[in-house]
Amino acid sequence: MIGKIIAISDINVSIFADYSQEVKIGDILYTEVNSKIYRFEVVEIKNNTITTIPFASVIGLKRGLLVYPLKKGLSIEYSNQILGRVFNSYGELIDGTIIGDPHERGIYDKHLTLADVNVNNEILWTGIKVIDFFAPLSKGFKMGLLGGAGVGKTVLIKELINNIYKNLNSNAVFVGVGERSREGKELYDEMIEANLLDKISIVFGQMGDNPVSRSKAIYSGLTLAEYLRDERKQDVLLFIDNIYRFVQAKSEISTELKRVPVENGYPTTMASDISEVEERINSTEKGSITSFQAIYVPADDLNDEAVQTIISHMDGQIVLDRKVAEKGLYPAINIFRTTSKLIDIEKIGEEHYNLVSQVLKYLTRYEELEEIIAVLGIDELSLEDKNIFYRSRKLRNYFTQPMFVAENYTNIKGKYVKINDVLEDVKNILAGTYDNVDENRFLYIGTIKEIL
Amino acid sequence: MENGAAEKLFEEDYVDKMLDDKINKINYRRNIYDVGKVIQVKDFIIYANGLENVSFYEKVNIDNKAIGYVMKMETNCVVIAVLKQTDKISIGDSVYQSNEEFMGEFSKDAMGRMIDIFGEDKLTNKKYQDIIKLKIEEDNIPIMERTPVKRPLYTGIAGIDLIYPIGRGQRQLIIGDKKTGKTQLCLDTIVNQKGQNVICIYVAIGKTKKEVKEIYYELLKRNAMSYTIIVTAFYDELPPVITLTPYYALSVAKFYMLQGFDVLVCIDDLKRHADAYREISLISLKAPGRDAYPADIFYFHSRLLEKGCQYKNGASITILPIIETTSGDITDYISTNIISITDGQIVLSSKNFQKGEKPAIDYGLSVSRLGGAVQDAEMKKLGASVRQKLLSYLETRDVYELANIDEMSKELQAKIFEGRKILDSLNQYKFSYLSKDTIIKRFSFLGEDKNG
Repeated sequence: MIGKIIAISDINVSIFADYSQEVKIGDILYTEVNSKIYRFEVVEIKNNTITTIPFASVIGLKRGLLVYPLKKGLSIEYSNQILGRVFNSYGELIDGTIIGDPHERGIYDKHLTLADVNVNNEILWTGIKVIDFFAPLSKGFKMGLLGGAGVGKTVLIKELINNIYKNLNSNAVFVGVGERSREGKELYDEMIEANLLDKISIVFGQMGDNPVSRSKAIYSGLTLAEYLRDERKQDVLLFIDNIYRFVQAKSEISTELKRVPVENGYPTTMASDISEVEERINSTEKGSITSFQAIYVPADDLNDEAVQTIISHMDGQIVLDRKVAEKGLYPAINIFRTTSKLIDIEKIGEEHYNLVSQVLKYLTRYEELEEIIAVLGIDELSLEDKNIFYRSRKLRNYFTQPMFVAENYTNIKGKYVKINDVLEDVKNILAGTYDNVDENRFLYIGTIKEIL
Repeated sequence: MENGAAEKLFEEDYVDKMLDDKINKINYRRNIYDVGKVIQVKDFIIYANGLENVSFYEKVNIDNKAIGYVMKMETNCVVIAVLKQTDKISIGDSVYQSNEEFMGEFSKDAMGRMIDIFGEDKLTNKKYQDIIKLKIEEDNIPIMERTPVKRPLYTGIAGIDLIYPIGRGQRQLIIGDKKTGKTQLCLDTIVNQKGQNVICIYVAIGKTKKEVKEIYYELLKRNAMSYTIIVTAFYDELPPVITLTPYYALSVAKFYMLQGFDVLVCIDDLKRHADAYREISLISLKAPGRDAYPADIFYFHSRLLEKGCQYKNGASITILPIIETTSGDITDYISTNIISITDGQIVLSSKNFQKGEKPAIDYGLSVSRLGGAVQDAEMKKLGASVRQKLLSYLETRDVYELANIDEMSKELQAKIFEGRKILDSLNQYKFSYLSKDTIIKRFSFLGEDKNG
């Protein structure tokens, strides 16, 4: 026995301890009421009072109940059978299966040294025109996916799983943090349908779960990815949907622990919480972890403290914009805010680099022209501006793309487009080769060859 | 263990002895064990000492003046949220334990009537005879027991059924300013469920008595009450009742879903719900976050709306929550939170309303994440084409607003005429329903154009 419960709130249970046994931060304690087990994780120790956070609802708990220690902290059982399986935040299988011959890892275990970290530069093409063109990525890359609610983050993530993974033939880990259960289950069902399930491990701590569960999913997911990287020596794809929800869950816990918050109620430890997780996502000599991390933007406010802290860890970012979505252009990417550190002559070559700057120049002018037109009309533009205006609209339409995973929604078959085709098409649009082709025909196509 | 002195001090039952000792002292002095005394009154939050044996979330009675439930237990007092109060509470009033969890009360006789969480018929103010006790908050359906949302729930409104369809088990937000027809959309949907084998629950929270009564007669007049239950917490009810009412309504929904019924729940509205929760949080001194809402405001709504699902037994809970915005801003904190939880949103715009477009749907900002997945093949094909053409028209309309239509290219002219016709065809007055076949007929001109 460790002690007795002396105070209870939704996500905070205090225990009066006798210290007949050593108690450390991160230990798991439990109590039992009417044969129902309640588990808690130790987060603070002060003299005789242990503060813990409960794994699930505390309805029915009483003061004075005896609390016992579990033998080990949070850990996950793994073996070469983890693929195709679904875990909850605490590392337990929830798809009704068990894995044979398991080893065990604590979910907080791993920290990499500078010597461990490998910098790898091989470019990884996604087959999505707008991403490959404006924000290409490489193995071991950390790509942030930003967007307010309902502008298509999850669809993009599913498309990436679909595309990259068909190419790379490597295994993936999907971590659902604080997102919709319906989408989580659909992802699982779609993976079965697409015959991809045996190549992916899934961890869910979804939005109906209590904050403790939501804050732990990421650690369990990371542990699985590290196993694939370290022991199976793979190039692992790690999808986190949604990393912001991790910070959000931590704020909820922090509030209950009566810690002093920083701006907008975020926890004091926000920066270190994020670093702890992000520094584990890295490539080593053994293998790589390429991660896509959806970042929810609260109240459409990109300057949000948590969002900015997460972004500082990213190598690139894809920004989804409501204004683009409103126009029916999907993927609704705001190309002005979408960046990658690979946009560099040495990395992607001169042709690609020059095309990107030229397109950006055109589209910037286009935005200005839109305002002029709203006042004066198109006819007042100079010939040069008219060309920029019409070609930019074609470019904008060209960068839409039918998605494999959205076939249901759009009723158009998905397309995978090679980067060389994209460069060729963009060059031709800029050169005016297609000036007499109607702009609407560029919507939702793969390459221009299809419509000629 | 190495410290011999400590070992002696903390003998095996040291904690037991100490706690028992303390309890005995309290018993002896004040004779309180299952009875507590009120020590502080703060609006609807009561602090009481004693009650050593009370459970978290237990129902308590305060000197027959009020009932409440235990929302928090601290080391030296118990925090009680008052739900119903008949008389003023004063210091020293006795608080009696009930030895049971606070449960909602429901009766099947409430079908066609108006009920609150206490099982009282609001039309007669009498308690129902045949009471079933339901947990205020049922456990969420586990992720692996959900099945895909596929079957349509027809609202009878062309703009929704065709362009942003709602499926059984979907959560679709209805958001807009005052007087844009949000409640009307819900009522339309409920009335259109006649003969569809759907049980409807209309949850009125923070509405005036007059409004709720009008809604009741509106539904009664159209014979929609025979399959509808109105669950209500009026504007002047205590905040804890307002916050619990939607959870209770979803417990009722789950009760019917487990019996194999499809259930539709309209929650009107969640902004008021969030404000009531903020009131409780701030009074109980939780640290405020963004817009002074507590950190767990997202979880407060996410776990509520996650109760909507398509269950493995074939039945479902569809939820239509409503949010009222000010000056058309759907990017405020609560709105974006809910948008990030639901499976889509129908945005109603007061500008469209004034232009005479009814329902005043903003087709650019509205989203359905399920889209064609919940439509049959015919509707899906037509819907995708109408949506794409309409959005493209709306965007073109904005750009070429000032241009002279007679001087436009033939293609552009055709696009604009077609767009106008689509918009006209989507107009529809309240309580006038379009069946699937009528909708398809109405939009048949789209196909004809191509042939001609």
